[in-house]
Amino acid sequence: MATTDYALTHAPVSPMLAPRLTVAGEIAKFARTKPVGAVGGGIILAMLAVAAAAGTLAPYDPYGADYSLQFARPSVEHWFGTDEFGRDIMSRIMHGARIALFVGFFASFLGCTIGGLLGVTSAYLGGKVDLLLERVMDMLLAFPQLILALAIASILGPAVHNVVIAIAIPIIPRAARVVRSTALSVKENVYVEAVNALGARRTRVVLRHIVPNVVAPYIIMLTAQLGGAILAEAALSYLGLGAAEPTPSWGLMLSGSALSYAEKAPWIPIFPGIAISLGVFGFNLFGDSLRDALDPKLRGR
Amino acid sequence: MRTYILKRLLLIVPTLLGVAVIVFLIMRVIPGDVALMILGGDDGGQIDPQQVAAVRRQLGLDQPLIVQFGTWLWGVVRFDFGDSLWTGQPIVHELAIRLPLSLQLALMATFVSVLIAIPLGTLAAVRQDTWVDYVVRIGSIGGLAIPSFWIGILCILFLVIFFGWGPPLEFTPPWVDPWVNLQMMVWPVVTVGYRYAAVTTRMTRSTVLEVLREDYIRTAWAKGLRERAVVVRHALKNSMLPVITLIGTEFAFLIGGLVVTETVFTLNGIGRFVVEAVAHRDYPVVQALVFLIAFSFVMVNLLVDLTYAWFDPRIRYR
Amino acid sequence: MTGSRRQLTLRFVVALVLLTGVALMASLPTAQAAETPRRGGVLLAAIGADPPSLDPHQESTFANIQLVAPLYSTLLQMDPLDSSKIIGDAGTEWNTSPDGLTVTVKIRPGIKFHDGSTLTSADVKASYDKIVFPPQGVRSSRKAHYAAVAGIEAPDPSTVVFKLKHPSAAFVANLASPWNVIFPKKYLDKDPNHFKNQVVGSGPFKFKSYVRGSTFEGERNPDYFIKDRPYLDGYKFYISPETSVRAAALRSGRAHIEFRGLPQSEVDAIRKQLGDKITVQEAPTPGWWAVGFNNKVKPFDDVRVRKALTLAIDRHTMGKVLFPLTGLRDVGGLVRPGTQWAMSPAELEKLPGFGRDIERSREEAKKLLAEAGFPNGLKFTMINRNVKLPYQDFAVFFIQEWKKIGVEVENRPLETAAWFDAGRQTKNYEAIIDPHVDFMDEPDLTLADFLSNNPVQNWMNHSDPQLDDLYARQARALDPAERKKLVNGFERRVFEQAYFAHGLWWVRSIVHASKVKNWVAAPSHYSNQKLQDVWLSED
Repeated sequence: MATTDYALTHAPVSPMLAPRLTVAGEIAKFARTKPVGAVGGGIILAMLAVAAAAGTLAPYDPYGADYSLQFARPSVEHWFGTDEFGRDIMSRIMHGARIALFVGFFASFLGCTIGGLLGVTSAYLGGKVDLLLERVMDMLLAFPQLILALAIASILGPAVHNVVIAIAIPIIPRAARVVRSTALSVKENVYVEAVNALGARRTRVVLRHIVPNVVAPYIIMLTAQLGGAILAEAALSYLGLGAAEPTPSWGLMLSGSALSYAEKAPWIPIFPGIAISLGVFGFNLFGDSLRDALDPKLRGR
Repeated sequence: MRTYILKRLLLIVPTLLGVAVIVFLIMRVIPGDVALMILGGDDGGQIDPQQVAAVRRQLGLDQPLIVQFGTWLWGVVRFDFGDSLWTGQPIVHELAIRLPLSLQLALMATFVSVLIAIPLGTLAAVRQDTWVDYVVRIGSIGGLAIPSFWIGILCILFLVIFFGWGPPLEFTPPWVDPWVNLQMMVWPVVTVGYRYAAVTTRMTRSTVLEVLREDYIRTAWAKGLRERAVVVRHALKNSMLPVITLIGTEFAFLIGGLVVTETVFTLNGIGRFVVEAVAHRDYPVVQALVFLIAFSFVMVNLLVDLTYAWFDPRIRYR
Repeated sequence: MTGSRRQLTLRFVVALVLLTGVALMASLPTAQAAETPRRGGVLLAAIGADPPSLDPHQESTFANIQLVAPLYSTLLQMDPLDSSKIIGDAGTEWNTSPDGLTVTVKIRPGIKFHDGSTLTSADVKASYDKIVFPPQGVRSSRKAHYAAVAGIEAPDPSTVVFKLKHPSAAFVANLASPWNVIFPKKYLDKDPNHFKNQVVGSGPFKFKSYVRGSTFEGERNPDYFIKDRPYLDGYKFYISPETSVRAAALRSGRAHIEFRGLPQSEVDAIRKQLGDKITVQEAPTPGWWAVGFNNKVKPFDDVRVRKALTLAIDRHTMGKVLFPLTGLRDVGGLVRPGTQWAMSPAELEKLPGFGRDIERSREEAKKLLAEAGFPNGLKFTMINRNVKLPYQDFAVFFIQEWKKIGVEVENRPLETAAWFDAGRQTKNYEAIIDPHVDFMDEPDLTLADFLSNNPVQNWMNHSDPQLDDLYARQARALDPAERKKLVNGFERRVFEQAYFAHGLWWVRSIVHASKVKNWVAAPSHYSNQKLQDVWLSED
């Protein structure tokens, strides 16, 4: 996301040596000191739980059309009402969580990992390779994310797995840039040169020294991009380039006729929008606080 | 400083060239034949395969890719983007019709958002941890989380259901009839601007907070300056720089916002034009538009970087 | 009677007379308005797309014909007030020779083009030459409809003669096609593509302005060859791709009419808000949506599989479910239900997929699948067009129905260009959503989809000499009863072989302000767009 991008790419040049507490210890400390982030984390966990248990939790089949119940208002049988085909909206939203999380996580993971690897390689190898990779990344960065995703989605066609690729690709150069600058600063650390002088193998240096220090910005990027990826999936599905009917994608539920039906059945566009906003909200809160926790130099709060 | 500018300008050329190649290739890779589309129309009709071949020849689509690319590039350098395959009209023509609307939308959204965001962000920073601060923070995190097209949908819903309102169907430039123009633009501006305002508010708040902790601010307090003088004269001035940088980074999201918002409100602008052109396989239009977008994106970022470098000499020597 | 009683009676009678007088006066103006057209006013219309070009010979989209039809004349036309009749436009009388090979049309004298020149048979010949024998580099979207034409002659300025290779039942009707506008010869001679971006016609309106993506305007032609027409001062189209925006325009009065049709939910909302200020016309259209199977790909080469797939669909419920969403409503064969060639519902129900007992049909379907080697169901992909209405909703219904016989289908929408590509050229699909819309009810046009040597239109990718033979015979049958028999025979063969899974016929709900008078929706949204008899009862 924009603020994270800016803050990290213009971060002061100093090595970040991650503290070594236990995982449980970290989580407890986080919840204590950053309650807002904990709220975000809570939302994320809730979303994960719903997505995982959607099969048993959802009262109806998300694809099951009940033709006698088209446009039914929210009621005890259908908490969120039904859509134009008589499908239960709450069940569709629960199953939609799976798609949102799937796309969000995999697009973000794919983009950040590939970008991260490219960034580390570029920083470590330096010279011509670095120059070339930087130029290519610059070219990709010249495209606004949505436009590039749009073009790629057009090539691949509407399908959930294609959306993942379309969203991941614009993330790659952004992740590469961030990781590269961090890796560069670690590289400048005398310690690494010392290890080199002692004759340690290249890969060993990379794995044992550069990578651990790059992990923090990588994780921050991952969570930051996740929220953005969910939004991008919604936007692409809305434009008709993402998931296809009858998949219960939140963005798809908002597209096209949702507006036409909205007067007769306003619950059709309202609930998916709330779901998207809540999900991204959770990831943003969590990501913000995570960044603050992992990077004491930034007093952005 | 001059060498820095020169270096940056030179670096743009290969970047833009790379962009051009990428765009060109992407369009050729997408399946779908524009000639078939042109002949066949909407609902299916009879087409003679010989006619398809004739149309392709007419559109220059039977030339080798390198030749097509070269011809196009040569035109771009002379500001001639060629003709649209779909309509046969010069692309510059089509752009001229649609650009004013998108430009107005982008500028208004930026302007209005910044106007709202800077005071709000400053207020939140100065009243940190009070209810004002919390309200502003939640509002701005919302702006980042809520999909902009959903805001657009909600706006339209609200207006249609409660006021039976329909948007004006024709774009009237503001110098012709400002009131009608406003009617058409106000809701799209809100839709596009909300996110922008949110990001700017957050940025303003965090930089004002940082600046307020600096020593020279404490000196100003010690000297007994009133809060307002301190804030406006010292803190605000120094928070401006990051906000300017934001314009550069947020520009990409602004373009994305234009595409989606113009679709929601069906405005005849550049954003929707791109989506339509991709659907029609109108290669020259997509190439021209994406190239222009990337070009302006690069330029805006360059300007922002130069402004930043001018203000902060440390950055120049990377 | 006593004095006071007399007074009462008098008062009563006076009151009665007054009331009657008032009632008469109240009813009079409306009665008059229905009869005397009012002159003046500009018709405001909303349309959902831009045309690629302004030349109707070269386009097939409603976005073209609705914009330019008022600017031109055709030789013959569908009667604007009665779509079953053909009347003259630029042509006044026509006759076919006894052997059916010559059609002569007389042209009205005194028709002027908008540039002042006179319309003669030379212009008609040049325009039709362009349609039937297009020069190199010029497309003619309906060239194949005129395969029967051997040549066109203009023996004198007010006569044009068409020579045919064989008698053709559809030929005269084709002369009434709204797409066959008459261009001035002198511009065609210089550049046959001149009219893609220029307009010189002889119609009731003259071209005023066109801003792509925004508006299209025409103004009254004071020298129109029919005195005292048109009634309107002009017309203006607003180009607005989003359906809900067009609907909102009608509701708020920014537009008077939308010619293509709106989904039922929008129609209901508009009706609720505007009551009788709005009129809704239902126009059953010569168009259907269906699912085409690629007959050359396994397992669709097996008639049992195809039959099973079409038996599973409950078409009678489909109409009820899809009509409020999409306008697809009527169950019918390959010719529009209600036309002279259509089978009776009783006959139709005997064919596979049209029966009323859906449970029995589904049982039969499962049996057929098992016989064909798919006892546990089947899985395949269906290609679709990436447009919401009615394509996606149509697919969702079919997918739901097929689930009930154990068939899992994936809906794969492609961009319009890619979808056309697949259907018309590459045939790279297992199943594909296949729509078909004509400008008029004419079996020559609808049945052509099932011919063997017509790859561009035949998305079933099959080859059946029986069908080819039946088609040729019905095209030449000049006796209506004989023709109906052949057409129905064609239909039976198609449905028994289940080359495709038919869907529903399209019924458009056209909404317009009640003040728009004298416009009757034609079956297709391509016809009756000339607007010469339309008037507005108030501005």
